[in-house]
Amino acid sequence: MPQNANLSDVITLISDIKHGKVFSSYEIALRTENLLEKVISEEKWANAKELMQQIKGKIQQVTQSLPLETTATNIMRHILKVIREECDQVSKKKGEGQSLHQLVTADQSEERDYSESHGDLKNCLLDHLTEYKVELETSTENIAAQALEHIHTKEIILTVGKSNTVEKFLKHAAGQRSFQVIVVEAGPLYHGHKMAASLALSGIQTTVIPDSGVFAMMSRVNKVIIGTHSVMADGGLRAASGVHGVALAAKHYSVPVMVLAHMYKLTPSYVCSHEKDTFKMCASPANIIPYSTGPLLNKINVYNPIFDYVPPELVTLFISHQGGNAPSYVYRLLSELYHPDDYELY
Amino acid sequence: MIFLQDVNDWKNEIIERGKTFVENVKSSRQKAVQVGERFITDGATILTHGYSRTVKTLLLKAAQKKKFKVIVTEGRPECLGYRYAEELSLHEIPVTIILDSAVGRIMERVDFVIVGAENVTENGGVINKLGTYPLALTAVAAHKPVYGIVESFKFARLYPLRQDDLPPSQDETVNFSSVPPNKNTATKDLVKFFNPLFDFTPPSYIQLLFTDLGVLTPSAVSDELIKLCPN
Repeated sequence: MPQNANLSDVITLISDIKHGKVFSSYEIALRTENLLEKVISEEKWANAKELMQQIKGKIQQVTQSLPLETTATNIMRHILKVIREECDQVSKKKGEGQSLHQLVTADQSEERDYSESHGDLKNCLLDHLTEYKVELETSTENIAAQALEHIHTKEIILTVGKSNTVEKFLKHAAGQRSFQVIVVEAGPLYHGHKMAASLALSGIQTTVIPDSGVFAMMSRVNKVIIGTHSVMADGGLRAASGVHGVALAAKHYSVPVMVLAHMYKLTPSYVCSHEKDTFKMCASPANIIPYSTGPLLNKINVYNPIFDYVPPELVTLFISHQGGNAPSYVYRLLSELYHPDDYELY
Repeated sequence: MIFLQDVNDWKNEIIERGKTFVENVKSSRQKAVQVGERFITDGATILTHGYSRTVKTLLLKAAQKKKFKVIVTEGRPECLGYRYAEELSLHEIPVTIILDSAVGRIMERVDFVIVGAENVTENGGVINKLGTYPLALTAVAAHKPVYGIVESFKFARLYPLRQDDLPPSQDETVNFSSVPPNKNTATKDLVKFFNPLFDFTPPSYIQLLFTDLGVLTPSAVSDELIKLCPN
């Protein structure tokens, strides 16, 4: 059992996320990566098994306090897979998970323990982490570099709210193609306004529409390009509130929906129940009805959910730094990122 | 890979592997149930079709911690739905029995559908008791998820393109009616019966499969099968 002292770094991270000091997924990803570097280089661990136990303890802590915050846990899970791969490479044994092949051939392979001590493990892992950090930092540029394949001249692109990834994507394409962008306001915080201002400053012809105007404008739109908070294991999205409606309108008019998602947003869990996994997190209702409304507030319930679930049938393509993938392929990407034993750690 | 010189060693190895296989298979139902338990939520209304021991184990296990309702179809012509409902209600699960044809009428009250399977085909479709296909069609039309729970040894290298591609497992012309079709003995043989045991549900109607290998989307099934037979 990990002692409380070891969890203090995770608790600091969780507290920063809750207080809004670390906001975007990218910042959370970098903080988690730094945390892991410290754990591997400074904490005491004798072999891979102990290190993995420590990291699993941290994942459990984050999952308990912030069940819907998947970026941090995904990166830690990925590192667990990297650790297992390093050990396999050294001991030249394959720690295969459960598979149909193993079941049918009834292979008597022993449970992999990972408790052999490995002299060079620390350095190998730190090398991997440095590589991974570079990958994280260049992820947005790599996604943006694919923009020219997807955006063509005179197209009308629709996007929702503000996303740094989508912004860079569109600005990269605007360098060489001329197209129009329609930005959905995205109440109640109206981040779409900032997005539209930023795009317009780069010379892209931008239109802002209210959330209610999405269906009306959708018939003129060629593509919908959006970001997301997480990608679920079935290929669905946990995205900002309102995106499901946009996706449904797009499906109605057969407009392709492209989702720009970094690899650390791919999470191995499913949305089992909407109440628990999607609509549980709410922001302040004061954004919808201000407190100054007075006694009326006693008579009404105001909900302001942050997230929305979009089923996989409504998504056409996921664009990550490695290229585009269909939602039905997400299971394969997951098996490359995480080890099946680490999918559920609660 | 193990290379053995002696025929007796060979025989013993095969017997040992066989025993391990049986052990693995016995535990696969429990593993699949553990995987699927999370998807049964408190207060859910679940619709199921056909008497599947795997689904029954899942429902009984989930009922230990959660409260939910089950709707069971009658399941003609075997009518196993009655026995199924009785067994579930002994464990204090509220059960409703409906006619097979009531599926469309009741679908709006249902939260999700869960079925077992005789086989899972290579494209992730499911071969199950007659009536599963129209049930899945109705569920998808009403935007309700359809889940399958099945052990991985039921994955088959079958790829049916149409319903008639399923091999018949019994005499499909047997009379299943307790009411005689007509009283006129001269025309008795002119009326034919079609009574297959199974139908095929294509993968586009199935959301997820709960197996002992974890939760799989239908597209992931072919990956597992390819790993099994590399050629």
